Amino acid sequence: MPGDAFSLAGIVKTFPGVHALDGASLSIRPGEIHGLVGENGAGKSTIIKILAGVYRPDQGTVSINAEPVPSLTPTFVHKAGVRFIHQELHLVPHFTVTESVFMGQELTGRLGLAKRDMRKKAEAFLRNILGIDLPGNLLVRDLGTAERKLVQIARALIDGKAKTVVFDEPTAPLASDEVETVMKAINALKAEGIAILYVSHYLSEVTDICDRVTVFRQGKTVGVFDQIDADSSGDLIYAMVGRNLTDMFPQKDRKSRGIGLEVSGFGDGERFEGVSLKIQRGQILGIAGLIGSGREELVEALYGLRSAKSGSMRIEGEVTRIRNAAQAVRAGLVLVPRDRRNAGLVLPMTVSENVTLAILERNSRFSLEDRNAARKTAAEQIGALDIRPPNPDAVTRFLSGGNQQKVVLARWLAKTARVFIFDEPTLGVDIGAKAEIYRLIENLARDGAAVIVSSSDPVELVGICDRIAIMMRGRMAGELSATDLTVDGLVAATTGAADVGTLADAVA
Amino acid sequence: MTTTLTGSASVGNAIMRFGFLIVFLAFFVLFAAWNPVFLQGGNLSNIIEGSAVLMIVALGMTLIVATGGIDLSVGIALDFGAAFAVVAMKSYGMDWFGAMCAGLIGGSVVGIFNSVLVVGLGISPFLATLSTFFIGSSVQRIFTNGGGPISHRRMPEEFRNLALGDIYGIPTEAVVAFGLTVIYFLILERSIWGRRIHAMGMQRSAAIVAGIRVNRILITCYVVVGVTCAVGGLIAAANIRMFTPLSGFSYLLDAIAAVFIGAALHPRGRPNVPGTVLGVLFLGMVANGLNLMGLNFNTKDALQGIILVSALALAVAQQKMRRS
Repeated sequence: MPGDAFSLAGIVKTFPGVHALDGASLSIRPGEIHGLVGENGAGKSTIIKILAGVYRPDQGTVSINAEPVPSLTPTFVHKAGVRFIHQELHLVPHFTVTESVFMGQELTGRLGLAKRDMRKKAEAFLRNILGIDLPGNLLVRDLGTAERKLVQIARALIDGKAKTVVFDEPTAPLASDEVETVMKAINALKAEGIAILYVSHYLSEVTDICDRVTVFRQGKTVGVFDQIDADSSGDLIYAMVGRNLTDMFPQKDRKSRGIGLEVSGFGDGERFEGVSLKIQRGQILGIAGLIGSGREELVEALYGLRSAKSGSMRIEGEVTRIRNAAQAVRAGLVLVPRDRRNAGLVLPMTVSENVTLAILERNSRFSLEDRNAARKTAAEQIGALDIRPPNPDAVTRFLSGGNQQKVVLARWLAKTARVFIFDEPTLGVDIGAKAEIYRLIENLARDGAAVIVSSSDPVELVGICDRIAIMMRGRMAGELSATDLTVDGLVAATTGAADVGTLADAVA
Repeated sequence: MTTTLTGSASVGNAIMRFGFLIVFLAFFVLFAAWNPVFLQGGNLSNIIEGSAVLMIVALGMTLIVATGGIDLSVGIALDFGAAFAVVAMKSYGMDWFGAMCAGLIGGSVVGIFNSVLVVGLGISPFLATLSTFFIGSSVQRIFTNGGGPISHRRMPEEFRNLALGDIYGIPTEAVVAFGLTVIYFLILERSIWGRRIHAMGMQRSAAIVAGIRVNRILITCYVVVGVTCAVGGLIAAANIRMFTPLSGFSYLLDAIAAVFIGAALHPRGRPNVPGTVLGVLFLGMVANGLNLMGLNFNTKDALQGIILVSALALAVAQQKMRRS
């Protein structure tokens, strides 16, 4: 269409054995924020790589700034003013803000690097365009995640030649209160007349910020929505997965069967103090709390990754001391960590190797591994959790986020633990896989495990938990029954806008 | 796209190993054509015999690199093994068995010291074993009053046979190196300990969360490597009937090279025992072949380096080819 910043039409791209794209189209106008959504494997990243000139399409036409382009190369795309804000930050921790913004595009004066000039320009850009005051001499490692994201954006745009900016999951590593900052910056870019492609799993953000949305499913464009408002997410989900997800959250008619985990007076002497929790077997306890509330540290301490200075723990009535993760695992308490790519999985290993990592003894004789037995164990878990591809020898690095999370889970299911802790279980996972992970967590509780879910997503907590404990400034602010709790009520409680005690009364 | 990667990896893997094999064979043919002596049975067994100590040290290095670290003090462990054994026989009149035990204890002292630095004090393996290297070198100089060798001409026959004897016609040191290779292969590539070692080497935080006792594994590995290198020291001492201070250093760089040649040959870049064996044999063959070419001693190292870089560049290029 004339006036489009870029448009791709009828794109086909196959890799050996896979139709990554099968007639996909995408076009974006200047001055709009255009959402691109789809489940993992729908072809979002493939089309971004085609636009970036990394992959060459088998078929289809590409035009940039309304001019047809015979073939894209990374250099050409950059010259045409297309910029990419990748999910990973790619910043050097020991560089200053100024150095990071100008990395690879330093300004020079008569006496070498024009340091003062660069600093002025970087600070001005960050303040005037992105709306944040950052001293140019701060080190990247001292910045928060949202601030780093803005530095990354500034670096892509500082030359002032950008016409189109592609954001790939810009908010994935951010806590909910940091998202706002990045959103504001993106809206400011839109006001400058820049065309923005916004790729995200978070539908609430997409409906919030985007003017139009393109939906991919299985390599095809299945819909372009011109009218987007807060109520569009149902339609988007339907287009993405081809079915309604009204049953996203499982039923909550679970029975409790005696005490599972009991923690009292727990503290690490630093970030949280005097925390007491009680989880019945067969129940799911949520832990809510903002960044800095001590929620993350509590989870680490429960699992022995951080040392607890005070307090005691009982598992199914037995007094248990956990000083390291190995002891936790032996006591039947396991963790599905938030950072699955570093802490959850050994990415270069195969699915089979990762699934059997905690049960090596079972498939061995005289300490020598029976590889076939191990692969069989893995294959069983792959079948049970519907991990894709269903290949025990696939390298874990190449699996999608949702499937990687299932591999972590499969490891602990094979181990048969008694207490499961999930830390941000659906971070960066697409909506279809999300529903599956909720169902798996639910099944664990139904089978009699005590389950803890620590999450920054209030919808998730209200959706799957029986009760929700709220952390605030390193202390347990109170506990709410999740059955009658609304998402708004939980947000009010975690942010301190409402008193937990009053809320509890209101719910009761 | 994701589903096909494992399939094409095995094909690429085959090509890559094949590629290195071609280089290996090309040099073999080249050396054979240059000097017919190269192919004679005596010379080939020379290569294997001469590679035995390096093989043993390189096995230890493979284990440490697999844990995600590096051991710069393998030479010290080798020296300590030789020194403890020679002194045990010479000054304390121990028999061959006692001497060998003393040597192994000498190696384990180095391993324990490394464990304390790496696990106890949390120093990075590179710096920890570098300190061990400095301290160990100095200790040897002090003990020998400046680095003079301690010779022991009247070594028990049994001890000397470690280097000079044979078992059914196969040189003892080759048998020992082969036995250790099999043991290391079983540990690293086939046992559940190997799986844990590889896991912690590739992604330590994930190994910890999976309940693997990484500290225990690290301590064990450093001690095992110290003892292994001491075996190499025993053979070296038996061979020349003396302990030469600081002689272990010459194996360090070759061992590192062999391990990383082996890792480059692995489809997923892991340090591995068969790869290390190939690396050691390749280095041994090149050194021997260049010797027979009658080259100037001083140019030999440079040529060896160039050959090594070319072989590795080829492996890396093929790895890249397979990825795109």
